[in-house]
Amino acid sequence: MKRFAVTRTSRRAVEPALRNCALVLAVSVLAGCASLSDDGAAREVSTLTQPRTGFGVAPERNERDAQAGREQVARLLSAPLTPDAAVQIALLNNRGLQTSLAQLGVSEADFVQAGRMRNPGFSFSRMRGGDEVEIERSVMFDLIGLLTIPLRSAIESGRFEGAKLSAASEAVRLAGETRRAYFNAVAAAQTEKFMRQVVTSAEAGAQLAQEQAKVGNWSTLDRAREQAFYAEAMTQYARSRHAATAARERLVRLLGVWGAQLDVKLPDRLPDLPSQPSEAGALEALAMEQRLDLQIARRDVEATARSLGLTEATGFINVLEAGYASKSSTGAPRENGYEISLELPIFDWGGARRARARATYMMSVHRTADIAIRARSEVREAYSAYRTSYDVARHYRDEVVPLKKQISEEVLLRYNGMLASVFELLADSRDQVRSVNGAIDAQRDFWIAETELQAAINGSGGAVSQSMAPGANAGPAAAAEH
Amino acid sequence: MVSRRDLFTGAAALVGAGVVSRVGAASLPEAVMVHSAATQVPPPPPNGRPFHPVVTLNGWSLPWRMNKGVKEFHLVAEPVVREFAPGMKANLWGYNGASPGPTIEVVEGDRVRIFVTNRLPEHTSIHWHGQRLPNGMDGVTGLTQKGIQPGKTMVYEFEAKRPGTFMYHPHADEMVQMAMGMMGFWVTHPKNPDFMKVDRDYVFLLGSYDIEPGSFVPKTSTMLDFNLFTFNSRVFPGIDTMVARQGERVRIRVGNLTMTNHPIHLHGHEFEVTGTDGGWTRPESRWPEVTTDVAVGQMRAIEFVASDLGDWAFHCHKSHHTMNAMGHDVPNMIGVAQSEAAKKIMSIIPDYMAMGSTGGSMGEMEMPLPDNTLPMMGGQGPFGGVEMGGMFTIMKVRKDQKRGDYSDPGWYKHPAGTVAYEWTGAPLEAVRNTSSGGQSMPAAAPARKVEFNVRKPSGHSGH
Ligand SMILES: [Cu+2]
Repeated sequence: MKRFAVTRTSRRAVEPALRNCALVLAVSVLAGCASLSDDGAAREVSTLTQPRTGFGVAPERNERDAQAGREQVARLLSAPLTPDAAVQIALLNNRGLQTSLAQLGVSEADFVQAGRMRNPGFSFSRMRGGDEVEIERSVMFDLIGLLTIPLRSAIESGRFEGAKLSAASEAVRLAGETRRAYFNAVAAAQTEKFMRQVVTSAEAGAQLAQEQAKVGNWSTLDRAREQAFYAEAMTQYARSRHAATAARERLVRLLGVWGAQLDVKLPDRLPDLPSQPSEAGALEALAMEQRLDLQIARRDVEATARSLGLTEATGFINVLEAGYASKSSTGAPRENGYEISLELPIFDWGGARRARARATYMMSVHRTADIAIRARSEVREAYSAYRTSYDVARHYRDEVVPLKKQISEEVLLRYNGMLASVFELLADSRDQVRSVNGAIDAQRDFWIAETELQAAINGSGGAVSQSMAPGANAGPAAAAEH
Repeated sequence: MVSRRDLFTGAAALVGAGVVSRVGAASLPEAVMVHSAATQVPPPPPNGRPFHPVVTLNGWSLPWRMNKGVKEFHLVAEPVVREFAPGMKANLWGYNGASPGPTIEVVEGDRVRIFVTNRLPEHTSIHWHGQRLPNGMDGVTGLTQKGIQPGKTMVYEFEAKRPGTFMYHPHADEMVQMAMGMMGFWVTHPKNPDFMKVDRDYVFLLGSYDIEPGSFVPKTSTMLDFNLFTFNSRVFPGIDTMVARQGERVRIRVGNLTMTNHPIHLHGHEFEVTGTDGGWTRPESRWPEVTTDVAVGQMRAIEFVASDLGDWAFHCHKSHHTMNAMGHDVPNMIGVAQSEAAKKIMSIIPDYMAMGSTGGSMGEMEMPLPDNTLPMMGGQGPFGGVEMGGMFTIMKVRKDQKRGDYSDPGWYKHPAGTVAYEWTGAPLEAVRNTSSGGQSMPAAAPARKVEFNVRKPSGHSGH
């Protein structure tokens, strides 16, 4: 913001502008006098996040806040983590989110500042060039500041509102990302456990093969084949272990824990599928009400409408806001700022400026419509992914896995009757593990799709929609063909 | 014909079939049905020329009616359920309720009329294997007749010229119909009932099936790799025993309708082959044997005097034919230390049990099997598991078995000192031959010391 320094030499030139600003003052009476909130507007942000994530936010602004946060996080970490606990921890602990909340404080300070007049001041300067000394004395009074208080207040109020929405949007995005990471981590750990069974099975096969060869029942070729399978299974297991570690670390990063808190306990298995999938119902309408990116866009429309109104009314006030230019969902810091200048309408009566303001307004109107159309489509796609993944997971649970289990039982019966060999039994056990892994992947995909659907309704849309490509579940297990 | 139902001593009920429409029934002999797999000893013939009936192992003989001097039989080709042994049933195709179909017994010179009704889903025919008959009665579809279409009845009529041992089977879609169990025995008795008279005359057909464990229908496209080898579509321990009174002359007639030969072997006695497909062998052409190979499509009649008391094994000598279904790709686990691997396997398959380290015998182990499957080896004898399956039964020779009594006398009671016994003295040092080679392959150099890895049965699967 530019401050108008009133000096002795310029005082007279300002006076006509004062009169022209009477209208501005009248318009802005309602701006009132704002004061700083006691929690950096966290309560208001919480009002936005609570219905969308189930939890509020808590800015950490001092040691007391930090202590309270640490205690709560420690309490949540003491039991095996639930998806909700993970979200709660992330909202408390994630430094990226705290950055947004701190940003909110900055916005609020700006907003409050905007409602206050700058103190008058004196300045004294002494310049020396060569042998000359120039001493300048001035009395400063922020006249433009005084004139534009209501205007600035209105703008900063809008910016503050935007910051709140943006912080809430950030929190909702973080909650979704945390849930995704949580489901990935639990599933990867489960898969690792089952891959260990494949290794055990392969190891048993290799061991038997070695004995077979030792006593002369098997050729080197047969033995080497069984041994090779074991060797490959080991590499696949190593990969699944890393995959589990990587998934866990992604979660840990979002939780923002480190040091002693790193011992995050994950449950052994993913939550069960709900007994019924939710119906599509009025999800689009709900998204139109709830989506934060839409609310941000709408607020931009309002703000540009206001500045358009001002420009239309005076033609001399140039208010350019650039806030909407950033998409809050990307998480990048917004390029914020505006400039207010008062001009003397001597040569230019503001026609071009009014056209610009109108165009700017239309831009934000179209942008809002665009976001709304996209949001509706995202909801429909997310619901399809949700429903498909539910059906697939249930199919795995009710059909594929029981059938594989039945196959295993039958193979065991055949082994009992010496109709099948122990190697067939082992190969089947590995096959069954693969189908269990497929079931885990399907269950994970469901929970992630559910998260995406929530994001599409409540937040700013899913980061990525689930690709239902066949073979998407093909982890290292799929290669473990014998 | 109703009166003939109680002619059989067997317990199984004979059921008049409502096969043929009531309108046509007046001209057709009743098709007598049997659904049991128990041996049913036929009575002496109630009419026609006299003969000594044969005993069809796990089977029965078809009653007839005399119609103006002609012996009339009615065979119905139809789907049947045959119990291979308690615990396993197969959905087969057969005749008159069973597979194999009933044995047809006639006398040399009989005029025979056989009504054949087809209740199968495809056309069929019957070829009277080994008979001398008019060419048009030979039953080869396409060549000598049209196939008997489903629901139709055709009549074969000829004179049973040559006495001997015969079979009947389809000569239409043979691969399928015989794999499904379509076959039956035929005996033409000599005009003179005392010609080559024996005290007991057993008959059965050799069959082979490929029935996947857990399934019920044979695979009809299997060429050679069958898993069930049968006497009259029964496998041990489901096959009835044969019995004889000590000193009786016993004849056993065997027909082979499988795709391989079967060396049929009797313990404890020598026998002579007295009949083949071509008729009775001349006495001067016979020689004593304990095993006779019954080649594919052949019939053999063997005779012996049941002189020696006891329970004598009687079986095909191909060892895999005395087993029930088994895995053909199961690796040999003999000598393989399994305990370490077994621990790992049990951690993922809790019901796993290591087997085979000391051989294939599963001893008294009773483990759950797939549905409708028999243990590979089974049957309990007085000394434990007999460990047999398939083409195996017992010839029981007893002093006090009544003439004409075919009931099982139970296990033989051995006189003291006549059963193999355990040596309880000090172990003997084994003496090994140290010479090498014969004259044609003399030792080239001083024999190297060769170490043999002798695996001793340890009684445990692991070490
Ligand atoms: Cu054989």
